Amino acid sequence: MKKHPMLKYLKEEGPLGPRMPLIFCPGCGSGQVLNYTLYAVDRVIEEDGISKERFLFISGIGCSGRITSHYLNFDSAWTIHGRALAVATGALLANPQFRVIVFTGDGDTGSIGGNHFIHACRRNIDVTILCLNNGLYGMTGGQHAPTTPIGAITTTTPYSNREGAFDLCKLAETAGASYVARWTTAHPRQVIKSIVKGLRKKGTAFIEILSQCPVHEKIPATTLLKQFRKNTVPFSKAGELTDGKTLIGEFCDVERREWNEAYQEIIDQFLIHDGGIDE
Amino acid sequence: MNRLWVDERYCKGCLICIDVCPKKALRPSQEINAKGYILPEESDMKRCTACGICELMCPDFAIAIEEAGR
Repeated sequence: MKKHPMLKYLKEEGPLGPRMPLIFCPGCGSGQVLNYTLYAVDRVIEEDGISKERFLFISGIGCSGRITSHYLNFDSAWTIHGRALAVATGALLANPQFRVIVFTGDGDTGSIGGNHFIHACRRNIDVTILCLNNGLYGMTGGQHAPTTPIGAITTTTPYSNREGAFDLCKLAETAGASYVARWTTAHPRQVIKSIVKGLRKKGTAFIEILSQCPVHEKIPATTLLKQFRKNTVPFSKAGELTDGKTLIGEFCDVERREWNEAYQEIIDQFLIHDGGIDE
Repeated sequence: MNRLWVDERYCKGCLICIDVCPKKALRPSQEINAKGYILPEESDMKRCTACGICELMCPDFAIAIEEAGR
């Protein structure tokens, strides 16, 4: 029997029995994002010759947090709510050679971890942040989140949501991230391309992936994927006219000094002579 | 002819693979499996070009296409 090509990066068996199938509901976007990420990591491993041991996956709490917790055959950490980026900062301080991928949800990044998120972007630490934005709190029962669109119906907004949604891409760009992009789960090739670009980029790469929640939105996943294709318009083609559609595409791709490199310059000032600081 | 493999242990019957197949080479099965899911099955694998979009978009790592002669 032939197996899925990306199963080579997952742990199918653990010490306490089988770990698969994935915990996510049928048709969930989290599994798809994991699939796309593994394709991107596979490409980086093959083309750049980076060993598997140099990748580090970190996640917070929520449905997105379960991606790293049991299945990945890489170094991974499942951390506290909203603080995945704080753990990533520490990991990069300890070993700047790591290629860090952070999985967060919209509740993780936009609400409780908002401050960690903007300061990670401000420092421009060398992480690739994948934000799975499904517009609600999926794991706790479909409550409305800071990213819920106006007019959406959730369990805590039964007469439709009246609060404006957070644009996380604009926030990341303004805070100073090197690379900012937004795609949906219905754009697999673009997501993979963006993740590869983000992994090769020195500095913060923020990739927001609009994801579906078929259980709480009560619509089949296939219909939601079609809606994503219909209701989004590429940033490069849209200009000012969006017709109420969501903008997708690469919003920002600049070169800025990375955090570890900036501190390395200070360290190098004191290491001009071979004797080091004590000389 | 290419061959379809669906892992019954992992598939949760979201049927995204059938929806995204550009050649309509897959179809939903008539039977419901032991877990209560409708799995994809081969409808006309002569049309399959092994583009891999079903493998790429599968959320559960359950589907695989074996290319003929490989």
